[in-house]
Amino acid sequence: MEKEKLKIGIYELTGCAGDALLIVDCEEELMNIFKAADIESFLMAKSDNRNGELDVALVEGSVSTEKEKEELLDIRRRSKVVVAIGNCACVGGIQAAFLDKKDWEKNFKKVYGTIAFTHTKPAQSKPIDAYIRVDHYLPGCPIGKEQFLSTFARMVGGNPPELYRFPVCVECKWHENDCLLNKDIPCLGPLTLAGCGSVCPDHNIPCFGCWGPTEEANLTSEYHLLLDKGFDLEMIKKRMANYSGTRIAEFFAQFRKEKR
Amino acid sequence: MNVQDKSPAEAKPFKPEPARIVRTYHLTEDVKFFQVRFVDMQKALSFNYKPGQFAMISVLGAGEAPFSISSTPSRPGLLEFCIRRAGTVTNALFRLKENSLIGLRGPYGNGFPVEAMTGKDILIVVGGLGAAPLRSVLLYSLDNRDQFGRVAVLYGAKRPAEMIFREEYFSLKQRSDLECHLAVDADDTGKWTERVGVVTTLFPHLRQIDAPNTYALVCGPPVMYKFVIKELVKLAIPKNQILMTLERRMKCGVGKCGHCAIDYIYTCLDGPVFTYWDVIHMRELI
Amino acid sequence: MRILKLQKNCLFPFLEAISKEAELWAPVAKGDKFAFDRVADFSRIAMNATRTIIPAKKIMVPANFNMFHFTEKGYKEDLSHVTDRILFGVHACDIHGLLTLDKIFTQVYPDPYYLEPRKRTMILGLSCWPDEHCFCKSTHTHIVEEGYDLFFTNLESCFLVWIGSSRGDDLIRLVPDLFDENLTEKDIKTYIQWQAERDNAFKTEIQFVRLPDLMELNYRAPFWEELGAACLACGSCTMVCPTCNCYNVMDKQFLGEKPGQRIRHWDSCTLPEYSEVAGGENFREKKFQRLKLWYTHKLQAYVSKYGKPSCVGCGRCLVTCPVQINVKTVAAALEGQEPEAFWKNLAKEATR
Repeated sequence: MEKEKLKIGIYELTGCAGDALLIVDCEEELMNIFKAADIESFLMAKSDNRNGELDVALVEGSVSTEKEKEELLDIRRRSKVVVAIGNCACVGGIQAAFLDKKDWEKNFKKVYGTIAFTHTKPAQSKPIDAYIRVDHYLPGCPIGKEQFLSTFARMVGGNPPELYRFPVCVECKWHENDCLLNKDIPCLGPLTLAGCGSVCPDHNIPCFGCWGPTEEANLTSEYHLLLDKGFDLEMIKKRMANYSGTRIAEFFAQFRKEKR
Repeated sequence: MNVQDKSPAEAKPFKPEPARIVRTYHLTEDVKFFQVRFVDMQKALSFNYKPGQFAMISVLGAGEAPFSISSTPSRPGLLEFCIRRAGTVTNALFRLKENSLIGLRGPYGNGFPVEAMTGKDILIVVGGLGAAPLRSVLLYSLDNRDQFGRVAVLYGAKRPAEMIFREEYFSLKQRSDLECHLAVDADDTGKWTERVGVVTTLFPHLRQIDAPNTYALVCGPPVMYKFVIKELVKLAIPKNQILMTLERRMKCGVGKCGHCAIDYIYTCLDGPVFTYWDVIHMRELI
Repeated sequence: MRILKLQKNCLFPFLEAISKEAELWAPVAKGDKFAFDRVADFSRIAMNATRTIIPAKKIMVPANFNMFHFTEKGYKEDLSHVTDRILFGVHACDIHGLLTLDKIFTQVYPDPYYLEPRKRTMILGLSCWPDEHCFCKSTHTHIVEEGYDLFFTNLESCFLVWIGSSRGDDLIRLVPDLFDENLTEKDIKTYIQWQAERDNAFKTEIQFVRLPDLMELNYRAPFWEELGAACLACGSCTMVCPTCNCYNVMDKQFLGEKPGQRIRHWDSCTLPEYSEVAGGENFREKKFQRLKLWYTHKLQAYVSKYGKPSCVGCGRCLVTCPVQINVKTVAAALEGQEPEAFWKNLAKEATR
């Protein structure tokens, strides 16, 4: 008797669609992906998309319009398990950096002026867990091929993904790299989730944090360490905020209060 | 001894051996009972363990985790586990039906010092799922009843439905050769005939004990230990005769992966059974 | 134990001869640091290397490898990464590091994934000269009495070669003519002088004998929280430590017909998930609790079990921790001093 296949949907909200593209780019495994599960909906890869009940929904992108919020709520209602894929869905992405209501309204006006929006109401960009319960988070900007495939395979096997919860430094040391921070290069490795294979430090490029912050990211310590090394305060803030989305908003808010 | 002279060829401490789930059913909503047997008959019969020891269970693809053995070595052949749904491995186990295969290795840990306990009185104090590891030593003492002095059991659970092996304990109450007191924190059924309150409220009902001659065995949720130990110390049971079995994260079960380290000991090698003296001595145990 | 003499220009011919027997690995330059690597071109070997970024443990237990292939039929060991190796240029501290790992991995329940490569790797030690971060004299691991097949003391004029095992002797016998059995009085004098100068060259000294008691007395000392506040929980200290053995295991599945893999990778007690059990209970939730575990283990617990600290004085934590939480600054804090370190400055900053 053939095992019943999981029904899986892949959705894109606000983002660059890089995560969906990465899935399509798993060329050698693409047949296996479609064989292992019933891909019910995947706009980038197929046309006959159905919006029915799902075992697993993979959601890319942040929520930045009312319409997307409705779509997301609908996905949650239809799905047993929701997985946030990519930095935008997990933490809000670059469009959620420096999340602060006042800043957002100001920035929005600066970009769009007074144009009236007719098809949907724009909203401040937020990660999907601002609106729904998320079961698992697959980080990355974009997500990594190996991590995606192993996550997909585990889900097909009925198991939750098993992802690294530790920072990039661990993988960086596995690869026997000399610490860039110790060479006074502003590396965000200690704050950033591993899983990328420490590709940047492997090539002497500091970590920019694109896998998003770890649960226990010690922002205070890293921040002071970089200040100590003589880096410009604005540069540090920008770099730390870039891929951290809403995750470090609190840190910055607290910091602003302190400096006042 | 020189490393070169060691022969690892036969030593396969990490290899899970295939075992079959013979029976499985729910004990409570989130606790399931598993009866398991090694596929290899020789292995099934030669698996020698002590009450209080644990085994590592692998579920294909999900991973591996440690579980205390709930059956008694006095009934060889089948191994039993009571497993609470908590993480990836237990969730995968819950999905498995009877006749499914799992991976099994062990037994590991020190277990209860049953030789030293011979001829002594036994007081078993159980909280909730603590019944899983203590069931082994309880059944062992019943199967070897003449080897021990008095046997007394105090068992507290949150609600009647969460008292695992209820029937086994109720039938113990019928026996004249042991004492058994049961309590629930709250009775939501209206049909509970035993006491209501936390497990420590059962102590006053215990008959006079011969403290220097008594081994107290404790297992329950982390919060319980402090209060139960206080009662046991009040009864003047020697510190090294108050035994408790503890839970820690483990990835190997054989003192290699480090996760269960506390001070200079490994829970998997030197535990999971510790004395109250160990607890005082090593701090971070409970 | 026999000691032979090898002229400097005879080293490469010797390495040439032995590298036919097994893969030759040695320290080579990696940026301005060093790393053990497979060498075919002997001129790459950094003879005067200081500590490698990662110690020799990586040869015995790789950072990340497959333990088992699994299918519905069961679990099948994978030892395919194990091969015959000769590790040349291992410093005394690293040899002690391996001897420490031997205790953990080969005593009760011998670990085949460590033991197989350990048995199939020959250790050719090499003397070294301390830099400002070395303190192996304090841990008494600057001298080796066991744990090597050959040990080369690098004197100005020649090498003195200690033969530590029968296997080591076999290597010598491949090209016996390269070695001279007759040590002159001058050689002996040179060696004694070299040793005295080397012993005087240490700039870092730590009183390890006092530390177990100081750990106990400082169990509730406020500096632990200061360490916790600065610690990046990056795990680097444990990755680079020659005596850190902790690992995690993960089951990896693949799509299609490919069997699953049970992956074993280096883990660290400084990471938040280290002591977390299913269901979410975490026995060491706070960073300072985890750091304290590490230092308890290195400086106190190992001593009560084996009579010496499990620190071998290699100085790797000193050069690795970005916030200067290391054996030197922690030992200073235990002694009641105010160490010059980022973590201490951060604590001062916080209270300002």
